[in-house]
Amino acid sequence: MSTSYFYDRCLSRMSIDKSISIDKSIVLGSALLIFLTIMGGFLLEGFFSFQNLRSVLLLAAFLGIASLGQTLVALLGGLDLSIPFIIGSANILLPSLLSSGLPPVLAIVIVLMLGALVGLMNGALSFRLQGQSLIMSLAVGFMAVGATQIYTSIGSEFGGNVFTPIPEWLRNLAAFNGVTFGIQIPPVVFIWAAISILLIWLMRNTWFGISIYAVGGSRVAAHRLRISESRTWIQVHGISGFMSATAGILLLGFSGGGFVGVGDPYLFTTVAAVVIGGTSLLGGSGGYGATILGVLVLTVLTSLLVGLGLSFAAQQAVIGSFIIPMVAVYARSKHIRNQI
Amino acid sequence: MSKIRTISLKNISKSFGETRALSNCSFEAYAGEVHAVVGENGCGKSTLAKIISGVLLPDSGEIEILGGVNTTPLDARRLGVATIFQEVLVADEANVLDNLFVGSEGFFSVGKSESEKVREASELLTRCIGHDIDLFADVGSLPLNIKQWVVIARAILRRPKVVILDESSAALDLDATNRLHGEIDRLRNEGCTVLIVTHRIAELVRIADRATILRDGAPVGVLEKSEITEAKLLELMTPSDRSVMAQPNVDIKDNKSNLLDSIIEGKSIQLTEGSHSFDFELKPGTIVGLAGLDGHGQDLFARTLAGLYRQNSGTITFRKESGEFIDIDGLERASDLHISWVSGDRKKEGIFPQRSIFDNFAFGIYRRNLGWFGKINKRYAQKAFAQEVKRLKIKTGNTANKITSLSGGNQQKVLISRAFADQPKVIVLNDPARGVDLNTKRDLYKELRNFTESGGAVVYLSSEIEEFLGFADRVDVFYQNAIFRSLDYQSVSEESMLAAMFGQPLGSHVEIV
Amino acid sequence: MLITKTFRSLGSIKIPLILFMILLFVISIQAPKLFSVSGFSNAILVSAPLILATLALTPIVMAGRGAVDLSIGPLISFLNVTLIAWLSGNNITNPIVFCLWAVIAGAGYQIIQALIVTYIRIAPIIVALSGYLILTGVNLMVMSRPGGLSPEWMSSWSGGGEPQIFSPILILVLTALGLWGLFTRTGLYKQLRLVGSDERMAYTSGVRVDFVRIVAYALGGVFAGFAALSYTALVSSGDPTQGATYTLQAVTALVLGGASLSGGRGTATGALLGALNMFLITYLLGAFSFGSLSGYITSLAYGGILAASLLVNVVSNRSSVSRG
Repeated sequence: MSTSYFYDRCLSRMSIDKSISIDKSIVLGSALLIFLTIMGGFLLEGFFSFQNLRSVLLLAAFLGIASLGQTLVALLGGLDLSIPFIIGSANILLPSLLSSGLPPVLAIVIVLMLGALVGLMNGALSFRLQGQSLIMSLAVGFMAVGATQIYTSIGSEFGGNVFTPIPEWLRNLAAFNGVTFGIQIPPVVFIWAAISILLIWLMRNTWFGISIYAVGGSRVAAHRLRISESRTWIQVHGISGFMSATAGILLLGFSGGGFVGVGDPYLFTTVAAVVIGGTSLLGGSGGYGATILGVLVLTVLTSLLVGLGLSFAAQQAVIGSFIIPMVAVYARSKHIRNQI
Repeated sequence: MSKIRTISLKNISKSFGETRALSNCSFEAYAGEVHAVVGENGCGKSTLAKIISGVLLPDSGEIEILGGVNTTPLDARRLGVATIFQEVLVADEANVLDNLFVGSEGFFSVGKSESEKVREASELLTRCIGHDIDLFADVGSLPLNIKQWVVIARAILRRPKVVILDESSAALDLDATNRLHGEIDRLRNEGCTVLIVTHRIAELVRIADRATILRDGAPVGVLEKSEITEAKLLELMTPSDRSVMAQPNVDIKDNKSNLLDSIIEGKSIQLTEGSHSFDFELKPGTIVGLAGLDGHGQDLFARTLAGLYRQNSGTITFRKESGEFIDIDGLERASDLHISWVSGDRKKEGIFPQRSIFDNFAFGIYRRNLGWFGKINKRYAQKAFAQEVKRLKIKTGNTANKITSLSGGNQQKVLISRAFADQPKVIVLNDPARGVDLNTKRDLYKELRNFTESGGAVVYLSSEIEEFLGFADRVDVFYQNAIFRSLDYQSVSEESMLAAMFGQPLGSHVEIV
Repeated sequence: MLITKTFRSLGSIKIPLILFMILLFVISIQAPKLFSVSGFSNAILVSAPLILATLALTPIVMAGRGAVDLSIGPLISFLNVTLIAWLSGNNITNPIVFCLWAVIAGAGYQIIQALIVTYIRIAPIIVALSGYLILTGVNLMVMSRPGGLSPEWMSSWSGGGEPQIFSPILILVLTALGLWGLFTRTGLYKQLRLVGSDERMAYTSGVRVDFVRIVAYALGGVFAGFAALSYTALVSSGDPTQGATYTLQAVTALVLGGASLSGGRGTATGALLGALNMFLITYLLGAFSFGSLSGYITSLAYGGILAASLLVNVVSNRSSVSRG
């Protein structure tokens, strides 16, 4: 009884930190973005060129779409490590379906549905083992990739890579030189913007969004308000699977050829984008708006590092070392003294 | 007896953010005494216990315990301080023996030989529990009251010089409480200082040698054995204007409610397998209290009414205005029937800590007003919120601030306003006054009374006997998972409730030795 | 008393043990070649890195807070490429230096992780994730593609000539198991179990929670060093790309061995059985001829086994709790 009182007091102390941290995350993210941009302008020629801006936006769009599911799962306090595997699977499954003669639209719908299905399965399997859910998502990811590769390699010479003509409109959607109604920016950027606006609106104005914040904030309290934890959890994983498949399809348009490893970088960059944006991995606070900021920071950073001549490996190491300081700002756990 | 001072705290202050848990608190205890630290919930007594145990560090002040200073539980252990915390802290994955001797190991040595541990442990546990238990069973497989004994035995086995019991007898029944008191006596006779931290004053009167009473984080009196009486303790614990709490409106209750049909009716309810069955009725316009020692089923029953627990057998039905009876068979049903649930465990069952004050209110309001495609009606929630804030006098500041920026009392008010705004017919409250200040309590009683006067019904569970006095129209006292006795408002008294809580016949005086 | 105790200690490894028996039985029919001197020596060589990697995860996962060190694969890979590129590449081939580097660097890395978890108070899984990312990058920087050559003495470990059962690799595994055996006899081991099971209980009882956690991680790091040595002996070269696979395999083996990912429970026997089961499953899959599909079927199987054993563990944990 008196613990609860004590707890209130702890909470009230934490709240001061927390209410600052929301602003802190936006301020810090924006400051980081501005700093990196200025650095880029100083260090690299042509950093502000239209070409570079377009490529940053394009890469940000892929990462942004892939991070959407990760953000929602993180809001529930989990992580979805199946994202890269679903991206890779979609990326090879689509050309394989196309080469078997399916009309492109039907093939895309099938791939999206399968992505969502794998996501839903992931959610259903991992729901009971939260805390270890990311291990389950890893397992589901491996299964998805294995199954897809088995399907695509039956009757094909090259397992991982699938070569087939990609419809021109799909290429235009996501290629560097894609054009949107005459504007020299690939449509995927606008698609990302539209999805972002829709999602942010949904999160703020619908019971669906409320449910995610409620479950992530307090499972028991959400249950008392008749918000089904399992439904929210499974739904969100389904969305994550769907969006991963979307990213995989768009990446196919970008690269022109299916490659199962295309999703690999997204294993951790999606997590990094979520964390840098300021969504707490403990669940309940943050949002997709913050992730967009994180995505931009990461993409600008990458473009800066590439411009400076860093290898892919070195970029990875740099981004990896970003995560801990960022989490230290937003999501430190309480000292054990304050947990008793 | 020569008085050896074992604990000496001088001017200790401790704050958590804005809230001051202890302010300039000084405290002394001596060897060979049972010293009670009493006060209402939230008076700072638990914080005091945690500071003496080395779990919390004070912001300022001097500590001397057994001639040393402790800044960690490890220091405390070395000095000879053993604490039994309110929460039953056990490692479920480890066996009883390891749980008992945790911390006695060195880096390489495992401490005493196993046979010696087994001998000591089985002797003590047999004495405490009354029968032998398997020391190699995983603790996770044991029932709660045995776990409680494991925690108590762990402290005693350390041969401590200071033992702190922080509300530790909550899960024990009368027999066990008496055995615990036997152990406390034994410790005292060995020259140990026993600190009992509790708000349950009745049991203290018998066993405490001295008592320090805390109010608002500072001691307001130290009583010697001869001065310790329930009346005296109560007087010191509570501010003088306590009696001005909500007064029951006897007329309404006697004249109107008895004529009305009951809104909830329970027939031969058996809460758990093997427990006695009982009936229950709740009429509109009344407040029914649920009391009992912790773990005697009152909590389960409150949950059953709110659809959060399903009774083992029997029926609990809700009478709709149409006269139709509907089985309360789950949370969804209870919510559809407009039965609201307010929990005192705000942290676990109530608030969304990262969300704003307004969100915490509105999350509970949206469901009944969803638009197309699950669109929420923010405007409606805002209007309702403004109304409730005014009515309940919630001090919110900016409603976009986090809920956790509010004091415990105001957080609870937000949750209660959420329940009120959800158009309830019945409100079930589970110890809602936990850790809230007196003014909030008073407002709460008043609001609940207003609610019943407008035709609502209230089920009110509390762990503090005083809460029912002059407030509840009827108190159902639980003993061993069934209603043992129903006391109407005239026969509700501390004495009568205590007797019923311990399963004693009507009119008997409860002996705690 | 003794019998009940033995039975209880069998609890968490009951399922892996049964699986082990079944696998052995199926293999004895499908691929009896395993039961020969060369079959055994090969089995030891191939399964040793996984056994040791799983053992490296065990103390860390026991320390609780959901600490599954996902960076174990990249860590082994890191030790492997540095052994080859930094030591062997610079003609430092002294066996003692080799072993010391692997063990000390492994322990050092894990101690850093433990310090971050303890003092910066970040969830271990996040620390492991960023460690994974950093190490994967660093590994590729140390060695951009598989290559290099292990010292001569090491290639003889893998039994270049005669198949032998009592190879240095087996001794490495036995040493690790022996170390673990010694560790379980200390008070520290008991404390580790209690910390993992309920950290607050351990803390309030005067256990040095932070210290225990750091030692557990360091021990895991030492085993990671052992794993890297046996892995280097196995491939006789440096390979910066195997990280992800090893992480998945080791975590799967850990779960398959009945360890609880939420802490407090884990045994060397479980780790050993889990890793052996993984090896046997792979071996068995190899015995069927799937041709070009075999790699995919293996990854499908790993994923499926991991998912299934996670679910089995959850179900069996729940039943053991509800029994009370």
